[in-house]
Amino acid sequence: MALLKRLIDWIDVRIGAREVVAKELTGYLLPRNINTWYSMGSILLFIFVLQVVTGILLLIYYVPDADKAFKSVTYIMNEVPFGWLIRMCHVVGSSMMVLVLLFHMISVLFMNSYKSPREMNWLTGFILFTLVQGISLTGYLLPWSQLSFWATTVATNSANAIPVVGPYLVEFLRGGKLVGPPTLGRFFALHVALIPLGIAAVVGAHLFFLQRTGVSTPPFGLKDTTNRWKGDGYSYESHPGGIPFFPNYALEDLRSIFIYLACFLAVVYFDPYLFFTRDSFIPANPLQTPAHIKPEWYFLANYQTLKIFPSEFIGLAVQGAGMTFLALLPFIDRTKERHPLKRPLFMICAIGGIMLWIGLSVWGHYS
Amino acid sequence: MESNGRRTFLGLCLGGLAAAAAAVTAWPVYRYLAPRPAKTTAAKVDIPEKDVPEGEAKFFDFGGASAVLVRKRGGDLIALSAVCTHLGCIVQWEKNKQDFLCPCHGGLYTAEGAVISGPPPKPLTKLPFTVTNGIITVG
Repeated sequence: MALLKRLIDWIDVRIGAREVVAKELTGYLLPRNINTWYSMGSILLFIFVLQVVTGILLLIYYVPDADKAFKSVTYIMNEVPFGWLIRMCHVVGSSMMVLVLLFHMISVLFMNSYKSPREMNWLTGFILFTLVQGISLTGYLLPWSQLSFWATTVATNSANAIPVVGPYLVEFLRGGKLVGPPTLGRFFALHVALIPLGIAAVVGAHLFFLQRTGVSTPPFGLKDTTNRWKGDGYSYESHPGGIPFFPNYALEDLRSIFIYLACFLAVVYFDPYLFFTRDSFIPANPLQTPAHIKPEWYFLANYQTLKIFPSEFIGLAVQGAGMTFLALLPFIDRTKERHPLKRPLFMICAIGGIMLWIGLSVWGHYS
Repeated sequence: MESNGRRTFLGLCLGGLAAAAAAVTAWPVYRYLAPRPAKTTAAKVDIPEKDVPEGEAKFFDFGGASAVLVRKRGGDLIALSAVCTHLGCIVQWEKNKQDFLCPCHGGLYTAEGAVISGPPPKPLTKLPFTVTNGIITVG
C-alpha cells in the first residue's frame, strides 16, 4: 500500500493527477435522481472496447482473401483454442451493441435529454448510430459465407434506386459490377480501420460534449424539470448536492455492465448461433442465390420498407426522410417541457414510431 | 476491530473474485494466441535415394525444422540438421567446395557438419538414418 501511495505521489508531483481525479471523477456530481438508463452509454463504451479487443484477436488468424476467408473463419472456429469464443463474442457483441444502442436512444428520447442545449450530443450520437450500422454491414461480409455474400449483394443493390448516380454508386461500393473479391478488400479496410477510427473519434466528441454541458437531470423525481438555459451563452448544468460520479455512479455503471455481461455470455454460451442462419455455414457461391435471404434483425425494417413501396426510390426516400427527421429532432422539437407524461402528442408519435419499426421488422422476418 | 476484520475479509473475497475473473478471461486469450503445435506428426521422413545424387545435398522439413541429406563425392551419405548452431539460420550447400556456408555470419562447416571457420560454437547436429530398398529413412 505504501508503495502504491508513493507511486501515486510520484505521478501527482508531475501531472497533478489527484486534481484531475477530484475534478472529473470524485468531484463530478450527477443529479440525485439519476437512474439506471443513464448507464447505457457506459455499457456501449464497454461493448465497443470488447469489440475492438476481440476484433484485433480475430485479425491474427483471419485472411481477407476471397479464396481463404471462409476457411480461415472455419479454422478459427474449429482449430484455434478458444477461437469459437473470441469469434462468438465478436459476432454476438455486434448484435448486442445495436440492441443497447437502441435502448440508449430510446431512454434519451423518453427523458427528452436531446433537447437544447444538448443538440450536439444527439447529433454525434446519431452519427455513431449510423457508423455502428455501417460497421455491422461491412463486418457481415468478411466471413465470405453465402449469407454474407448475398446480404451484401442485396444491401449494396439498394443504392441503385438513387436517380442518376445509383448504378455508378453500386459499382463504386462493390469495386466492380458484382460483389466479389474487390468488395471484400474494401469492406475489410472499412471494417477494421476506417469505421473503428471514426467511431472512436465521434465517441470522444460525444463524451466531450457530455462533459461540457453536464449530465441532464431526469425529468422525473426530486427536482424541477424546467430547463433554465436560454441559449444566449455557454452554461454547464451543475448538480449541487448530487451524487459523485466516482465511486457512486461508477459502481452503478459497473453493475449495469455486469448485468449486460450476464445476458451477453448467456447468448454466447447457450445460444451462440442465435444470430446465424444456415446460410452462414456455407461458403459464398456467386452462382447460386439461397432462398429467403434476409438481412440482420436491425435492418429488417429497412428491408421491409423497400419491399412495401412499388418504387425502390420512394422506399429509399422515405427511409432517408425518417433518418433525417430523427437526426434533426432537437431542432424540430423546441419546447422546453421535458416530462414525457406532460407531452401526450410527443408520446403518441414516439411510441407509434417504435411500434411501426417493430411491426415492420416482424413483418420483414416472416415475409 | 471486528468491523475492520469483516472489511478485510470482504476485500479479500472481492480481490479473489477479481483475480478469478481475470484468470478465466486471460486463459482463453493466452490459448488463442499461443502457437499451434506443428502438423508434422511423423518423426520419420522418407526420401528416395535417387533424390540425393553424388556431390549434392537435399534439404527437407524434419519435425518442423530444416534438415539436409548430403552424398559426398565418393558416396558417403550424411544426414544433418540444417540449422546453424550460431544463431539459427539455415545453412547453404556449396556444391563446388563440398561444404556448408551459413549466409548470416559466414559460419563454414564441412560436409560432415564440423566447424571449419566462423562463429558457430558447435558442429551441425547429426541425424540418424537408415537405407532400405533405395529409401532413406531419417529419424
